[in-house]
Order: sequence, then structure tokens, then C-alpha cells
Amino acid sequence: MKEFIINGAPTKCYPLTAAQRLHYYTIKYCPFHQVLCIGTGLYFKHDLNFDVLKECIYEAYRRMDSMRLRFIHDPEEDAVYQYVVPFEEREIPLIDFSNDSEEHAHNTLRKWTAEPFERYNSPMNKIMMIKLPNGYNGTYLKVDHMTMDSSSIIAFSRDIIELYCARMYDFPMPKDMQSYLKAVEKDLEYENNSVARQKDTEFWKAEIECENEPMYTDFTGMGRLLTQRRESGNPDLRSAVITSTTLDASISVYHLEDDASAKLMKFCTENRVPMANLLLMGLRTVLSKFNNDEKDVSIKSCIARRGTLLEKRSGGTRIHFFPLRTIVEPECTFLEALQIIQQEQNKLFRHANYDPIELTMKRSMYRKFAPGASYESINFTYQPLTMKDSSPDTPDIEYKSFWYSNGVAASPLYLTVMHRPEDNGLNFNFEYKKDVVNEHEMEYLYYYLCRVLFRGIEDPNRTVGEILEMI
Amino acid sequence: MLETLKEIICNYVDVDADSITEDSRFIEDLGMNSYDFMCLIGELEGSMDIQVDEQEVVKLSTVGDAIKYIETLKK
Repeated sequence: MKEFIINGAPTKCYPLTAAQRLHYYTIKYCPFHQVLCIGTGLYFKHDLNFDVLKECIYEAYRRMDSMRLRFIHDPEEDAVYQYVVPFEEREIPLIDFSNDSEEHAHNTLRKWTAEPFERYNSPMNKIMMIKLPNGYNGTYLKVDHMTMDSSSIIAFSRDIIELYCARMYDFPMPKDMQSYLKAVEKDLEYENNSVARQKDTEFWKAEIECENEPMYTDFTGMGRLLTQRRESGNPDLRSAVITSTTLDASISVYHLEDDASAKLMKFCTENRVPMANLLLMGLRTVLSKFNNDEKDVSIKSCIARRGTLLEKRSGGTRIHFFPLRTIVEPECTFLEALQIIQQEQNKLFRHANYDPIELTMKRSMYRKFAPGASYESINFTYQPLTMKDSSPDTPDIEYKSFWYSNGVAASPLYLTVMHRPEDNGLNFNFEYKKDVVNEHEMEYLYYYLCRVLFRGIEDPNRTVGEILEMI
Repeated sequence: MLETLKEIICNYVDVDADSITEDSRFIEDLGMNSYDFMCLIGELEGSMDIQVDEQEVVKLSTVGDAIKYIETLKK
């Protein structure tokens, strides 16, 4: 911790956490700083009282200190520190798109999402009240990923809704948020050579130095690895360079119907399988199929790291990505393979506080990677929270939510699966680099993913080999 | 042991400590997910100075199961 004079007052500033450094390094080496911008919209088919809504937004800012987070650059150390300002003074504008087309409104909001924030001594989020055509009204929220992740965006948005309902309809007040800085202190305490960190270091060292090297499996097939094997003159190469010249990205969203989504959820409940694991099983089987039935598949799995109530309610950015490696024999049944995934996920959960950048660097050095090489072609996140789930007291009003693309991406493919607020069905958001893959290929990937999932759940005693043949 | 465990569980899920019994199931009754549960296990290891077996802990379904398991480790 360090003290800086900010706006004339001595202010306690904290170093960045490992989760924040992950994003900080992205912008350090990426020329397009909007890569960290996340834009979301939440709209209700309802005549909102915008004066009350504005007061509720200010109240939500007061309750969640991570929304008042700022960064400061220390020129002495060339390091970034963070601090929280005591209150939020900015004007919250009302933007009226009600006389425009909905397409124009969303395109404008997408464009705003692609505008990066000032990095230092400046707010790292922006909220606007929005009037859309067709009677939808709500909020547009843009945040910087170094300060917020999807869990905290949802928590903040829910808080606004619940505060509004409390004010307008006498619903109960939402529960208090918790201190972001307290959560940061806990993270930094862990990083300061704690026993827990020492245990995690040992675990990850053993994982990195395991005898059998993992195998790169690409979501477009063997082409990338085979080309790099030829170019490097190493026919046994097992990793592949996944960086590319452009960062231009697009998002393709596929909607799995509510009844089909319900079938997946029913399977998960009956078999005590977390939905994230079922989806990972689908994804790893598709990668296997696309890579000559490869048994050894790795995916970058996103861990939200929100176990304690402090972590769940303090906002901020907490996600860490770790390689989830599974080796599944074709004789293994679908259910047995799910158990393997569960065991591997549990290992990640137990060691998820470890710095993912340190892991990547250590692995690259140990395996003598070419710059930008990896074993994983896909980053995967399952987001179980929705605006609707958390607000059981919200009046039954039709509403819709949007996640806006910032136009660039650091990884070749980032799949986020989340529930639709209106029917709890699953949306598959594929964010991909346009120079690597096109929309048609994404559709193909989604099609195979669904085929695996439904062949698996209709008979979980079917072997993985049988499923690979069937699809 | 039950009281200590109740206190730790309440750091993870928003439940009334008095409602937690040895029969409470971590997932179905207390609403924990597998990440919460693995973090809870990590915290128990630290606070009770024990080392769990990862294959064994996933079999623990209730608070009572956890108490019995911890007692075997402390012997």
C-alpha cells in the first residue's frame, strides 16, 4: 500500500491484484485500449420514473465502492495503484432514442462501447439512462474490465433495480454491499507469500512440469498446428502460436430454445452436474472431433472466484483463467467423462487464487514456447447469474438485456454462455477474431456443440467414442 | 465442531447460522456451488490445520459428513 496526494488530500492507494494485472498486461501490449470496455444495456417495457431512477443510480454508487474506483500511475516505480473516491458526482444523462430505430440505438451504444476510458485519476465506468423505441426504457452501463467483471456488473445492475422497486413499490431494500477494498486487502495478503500461495505455487509447478506435454486443439481443426509443425521443422510440436496481426472481433450469438435449455438443466439437476461442466464436456468433445479424435484437450476455463459473501458482494474484477486439461479415453462414458471434468475443475477451484500471468510465463519458459504460443484455443465462461434470478421481488415486467461488443478481442475465441432473463434459455456468445474465423464457422462449432450435448444427455452411458462417431 | 463449521459456512452463504444442522446438505440446502464448497474446504484446511484428500472431500454431502471426516483427520 502507498499514500498519494490526490485532490489535495493524502489517499491510501493499493497495488493491482492478480486479476487486474491480467487486464493491465492486455492493454500494455494491445494498441486498442477499448479491448477492456464492457458495454451492457438493461431495458424494461415500462414507463420508468427517470428522476427516481437517477437517485437510485447515485444510491447504488454509494453502496458499491468498486464503482468509484480510480487508478493512479506512480512514475517513481512505473506502477499502477488504485483508490476509491468517497462519492460520485458525475451527471447521469438521459438519452432519448425513442424516435429512432432500435438498430440505430444499439449501433450507437456499440460505438460508445468501443471508446476507451481515460486510464488515470478518472472514472472507470459510465452510466446513462436510455429511452429505446417501442416503449423500452432503462440503463446503458459501460465499465472497464480492470474494475468490473460480469458478476459485478450484474450485482450493480440488480442493485439499481431493487433500489428502484423499493422506492417505487415499497419492496424490501436490497441487502448491503460489502467493501471492495477489504476484498483487495485479502487478495494482496494472499499474494504476499502466504502459506496458501506457497501451496498453490507447488501445485502449479507440478502441473506445468508434468511428464506428458498437453496437446493444442484448435476450434477450426488441425490446420494451424500442422502448418506450425511444418514451418518450425518440428513434427512433434504440441503447442501453437495463437496471436494474430489484427484484433478486429465480432460476436455471434446463438439462442438455444427454452425447452432445449431446460433439458440440459434437468440433466444437470438430476445428475448433480454443474452446468459449466456439462458445457465444458460438450466443448472438449467438439475440439476432440475437430482434431482427429484427440484424447488430450485443454480449454481456458474462467473462474469467477466469488466464494465468500465478501467476494460475492464487493464488486470489482476477480476472474482468473486457467487451463482445464482433460484426457478422456473413447471407452469412457459421457458420465464418467463429466466426473473427470469435475475432478479437474475442483483442482482449479482449489488453486484459483494463483496469479494466472505468472502461470502462463512459467509454463512458456518451461516448455520453451514460441512467443504467443498456447495449448488452448478457446476461453470459456459460464455465467449463471441473470438480472432476473437475483431480483425475485421485481414486478413482473417484460425486459431485455444486451452485451455490446467493443470491436476488438485479445484471444481467438471467447465463448460465454449465459441465461436469457426472459425465459432462462441459454445464449451462446461467441466472440471471435475476424482474421481467424468467420461467422459460418462459428455456426458450425455451435451446431456440433449442441449435437454432442444432446447425444450425451439422452444416454449418459453412451461412450465418448460412440458420441464422436454419431456426430 | 458444529459451531465452528456454522461460523465458517456463514462466510459463504447467506443463511441463518441457527438453521444449519448436521443434516444440512451443502448444495441442496445451503445453496453452495462447487466453487464455494472447494473454497470452504480450503478455509477449513487452514483454520483446522488439516490436509484433505481431494477425492474424499467431494463425497461429503452434509455438514455432519464434514464433521466426521475432519474428526478422522485430527485423530
